[in-house]
Amino acid sequence: MSRHIRNFCIIAHVDHGKSTLADRLLQMTGTISEREMVEQVLDSMELEREKGVTIKASAVRMEYTASDGQRYELNLIDTPGHVDFGYEVSRALAACEGAILVVDATQGIEAQTLANLYQAIEADLEIIPVINKIDLPSARPDEVAEDISSLLGTPKEQILRISAKEGTNVEAVLEAIVQRIPPPRGDPEAPLRALIFDSHYDAYKGVVAYVRVKEGRILPGDTLRMMSTQAEWKPVEIGIFAPDMRPVAQLEAGEVGYIATGLKTVRDCRVGDTITSAARPAAEPLPGYRHPKPMVFAGIYPVDAEDYPDLRDALEKLQLNDASLVFEPETSQALGFGFRAGFLGLFHMEIVQERLEREYNLDVLFTAPSVEYEVLLRDGRTLRVDSPAELPDEAQIVEIREPWMLIEIITPTEFYGAIMDLVTKRRGIFKGQEYPSPHRVQLKFEIPLSEILVDFFDELKSRTRGYASLDYQFLEYRPDELQKLEILVNGEPVDALAAIVHRKDAYHKGQALISKLKDLIPRQLFDVAIQAAAGGRIISRANVKALRKDVLAKCYGGDVTRKKKLLEKQKRGKRRLKMVGNVEIPQEAFMAVLRLEE
Amino acid sequence: MEALQVEIESLKSPHLAVHTVFFGGGTPSLLPPSAVAQILETIARCFHLLPDAEITLEANPGTVTLESLRALRAAGVNRLSLGMQSAQAEELHLLEREHSFLDVIHAVEWARRAGFTLLNLDLIYGLPSQSLERWQSNLEWALRLQPEHLSLYALSIEHGTPFSRWVGRGLMPAPDDDLAAAMLEWSAERLEQAGYAQYEISNWARDLPPSPPLESPRYACRHNLQYWLMQPYLGFGAGAHGYAGGYRYANVLRIRTYIERLRAARQRPFPLSPAAVHIHRQTLEDEMEEFMMLGLRLTRQGVSLETFHQRFGREAREIYGKSISRLCQDGLLEILEEEKRLRLTRRGRLLGNRVFREFLL
Repeated sequence: MSRHIRNFCIIAHVDHGKSTLADRLLQMTGTISEREMVEQVLDSMELEREKGVTIKASAVRMEYTASDGQRYELNLIDTPGHVDFGYEVSRALAACEGAILVVDATQGIEAQTLANLYQAIEADLEIIPVINKIDLPSARPDEVAEDISSLLGTPKEQILRISAKEGTNVEAVLEAIVQRIPPPRGDPEAPLRALIFDSHYDAYKGVVAYVRVKEGRILPGDTLRMMSTQAEWKPVEIGIFAPDMRPVAQLEAGEVGYIATGLKTVRDCRVGDTITSAARPAAEPLPGYRHPKPMVFAGIYPVDAEDYPDLRDALEKLQLNDASLVFEPETSQALGFGFRAGFLGLFHMEIVQERLEREYNLDVLFTAPSVEYEVLLRDGRTLRVDSPAELPDEAQIVEIREPWMLIEIITPTEFYGAIMDLVTKRRGIFKGQEYPSPHRVQLKFEIPLSEILVDFFDELKSRTRGYASLDYQFLEYRPDELQKLEILVNGEPVDALAAIVHRKDAYHKGQALISKLKDLIPRQLFDVAIQAAAGGRIISRANVKALRKDVLAKCYGGDVTRKKKLLEKQKRGKRRLKMVGNVEIPQEAFMAVLRLEE
Repeated sequence: MEALQVEIESLKSPHLAVHTVFFGGGTPSLLPPSAVAQILETIARCFHLLPDAEITLEANPGTVTLESLRALRAAGVNRLSLGMQSAQAEELHLLEREHSFLDVIHAVEWARRAGFTLLNLDLIYGLPSQSLERWQSNLEWALRLQPEHLSLYALSIEHGTPFSRWVGRGLMPAPDDDLAAAMLEWSAERLEQAGYAQYEISNWARDLPPSPPLESPRYACRHNLQYWLMQPYLGFGAGAHGYAGGYRYANVLRIRTYIERLRAARQRPFPLSPAAVHIHRQTLEDEMEEFMMLGLRLTRQGVSLETFHQRFGREAREIYGKSISRLCQDGLLEILEEEKRLRLTRRGRLLGNRVFREFLL
């Protein structure tokens, strides 16, 4: 049976055509008809489609009759396409025996693709390289084939050249999957071990775990056990994605499918965990289970304090589907009641923000993102601080340590200088370079995470006209000369505007922030003094003069309706302001700390 | 003219007492005085036009003559509002006014000779590049003409006007609100000294002998008070607005459509004429909001909270208590006569929008 199964994924950079190829495969195997063809079926969330990336993995079973006349079961496992989800990618890869590497014929290999590719090679997957978009006039398939060949050792003529959009050569991809990817191994008679590589929450069936059965088999009546927590439960349903959820009588070694667990939150069913049977448990879980830790933290506050309960509900609902999102209540003097949330990375944070705004229709304010600092105190304790406002008084601190990352940037060689400049300005340390192909260089740096939190991707893209790509991973905590930069409004420190900065940047950043705030804080009924302080000194100050005149000169019989609308508009604008003490501060001010370079 | 007569006829209500008539918007002084007379006759035929009614006509200096003013006065017009704007040729040019200051001097003199005892001058301050001294001299010139009434308007640059495009393209400095505030403060003092009382954010009237402190002065424009006190008025003509019978409405703007609609002349319930196109049925909220936002423009008499109660059956405090307290605390509003009256403070006059918007529900 498992002789006719092929489990594979597609590795590609954003926009290189992963979804288009997936659509084409689904169509050509008749898994979905033309009529059902909603573009990019795999990316089911609207947000993903707009951002052009896949956030949640998913798995689809296809039936394919190959040129040898045999019927094959092909399981396409989708992988998340962003750097913040590296761990999820590794689990999806662990569920496969092969991977299709899709490279854009106009762009070449990108950093993140390479990172995923290395992971795939490490996981011992068979790699089928494919050059996509050969229909574009700017395609340079020969050059790209050269690069791939030198990277993988695959003979150039074996690299498939396709256009997923036009359907050119896609049949050859299906044949390559059947011929080159090995069938899964694994004893169906051994005790059950199933790898969870993704999950989603369903209101009726509870958490649905996406699994790859490595050994043994799952029958609907079995009591199952989560190996990390030893929690036991009876599945509500087992089945496959074809592409909709379709119940089956059993899932056995080599197969990919789902288990509707009935569990209430995805945290009880974590990606990477192993499911076994309670009656005949496996001795060891599958290797590689890890609990990814949040790296980036930010305060989330409702713009209107009345929305606090709605915000809490929304975050709880998001968490049902997103085990990596953590949050706890936080109170800010400036912003009132809100939450401190932790994210895998900046991109993850952005997704959460957009979903809160779009799916839950909430006006929320995110404070500037922060990393988690380790603060060694004079009394010997080590404090973990993820909010600048909570940094203790300088006198108590021996040293502050911050997370450092290892980053890899792949870029056309002409941007070498621009990237060096960008990274070194942000305290980055050059560690090495490689030339995967004659015109491309792979640069390695070490850099504090806090330095790439804000604007780094945008800056990288703009300096390289979009050609550079980036991958990063956590390295270690290192001490540095860090200090708190505080902003005082009318003499009161505003916690939500505090930042932790390097000592040598404090003066410059303080000044830049003050001049930004001076423009952003509207004139009030009284003078507003704004000051930046660091290391116990005021380093910059400015004054927002009191508003003197704001009145409509004319309001006669014919003006009433129009003037009233104008006032209503003013009033709505006011709602977007946060009262800090008796000063009204617009949301943009809280984000100003992010945009100091402009 | 014909359509206008038809429109007035369409709302004929002989028992409705009319105590003010206002010819305004555009340049009514371009109408031959005989036309004005005809309109007034129609009004007198269709409504109960009171013998002491205030009848105002807006005029551009330069469009009137001694003869035309005599004819207007004879037709019953008893108040003249002249768009002086400025005493400086350069500023008049910037405002695209055809007249000169000399035309203003003539118009005032002829108006007096024609028997007008109620004269208003409109002035604009806060023009781009206008200095405080320039403005002061404009106002001094206006005072020398001894009008009974003065309207001082801050230039506001509205979206879509040539001014806003010029400012946007950097061809003209944006008006300086702080300077405009200084101009207004200086003017308020100067006018008080000259015997004028400010009774609305942009309006002053001669106040000799002085009227009681919480009343608008005798020479205040009765017609405009009607708006600010939320009393009914009917609007006739293309683009005219009205407020009556629980409606705010506006007539169609295009003159041709206006005429067509009145030719078709289908009858509608009072106060809606066949030309009314934007018709809004006032809700209780609208009424309360507007009562406050308009009434608070009256800087001398303020808003009577007793009238509010009589009119809406609820105390203003019940509805606006929080806003009132905060605005008083901020020094923008004051409570007078033991809770009976609410009024902008001197500072509040310059920050009216901050106050008005708090009364929107």
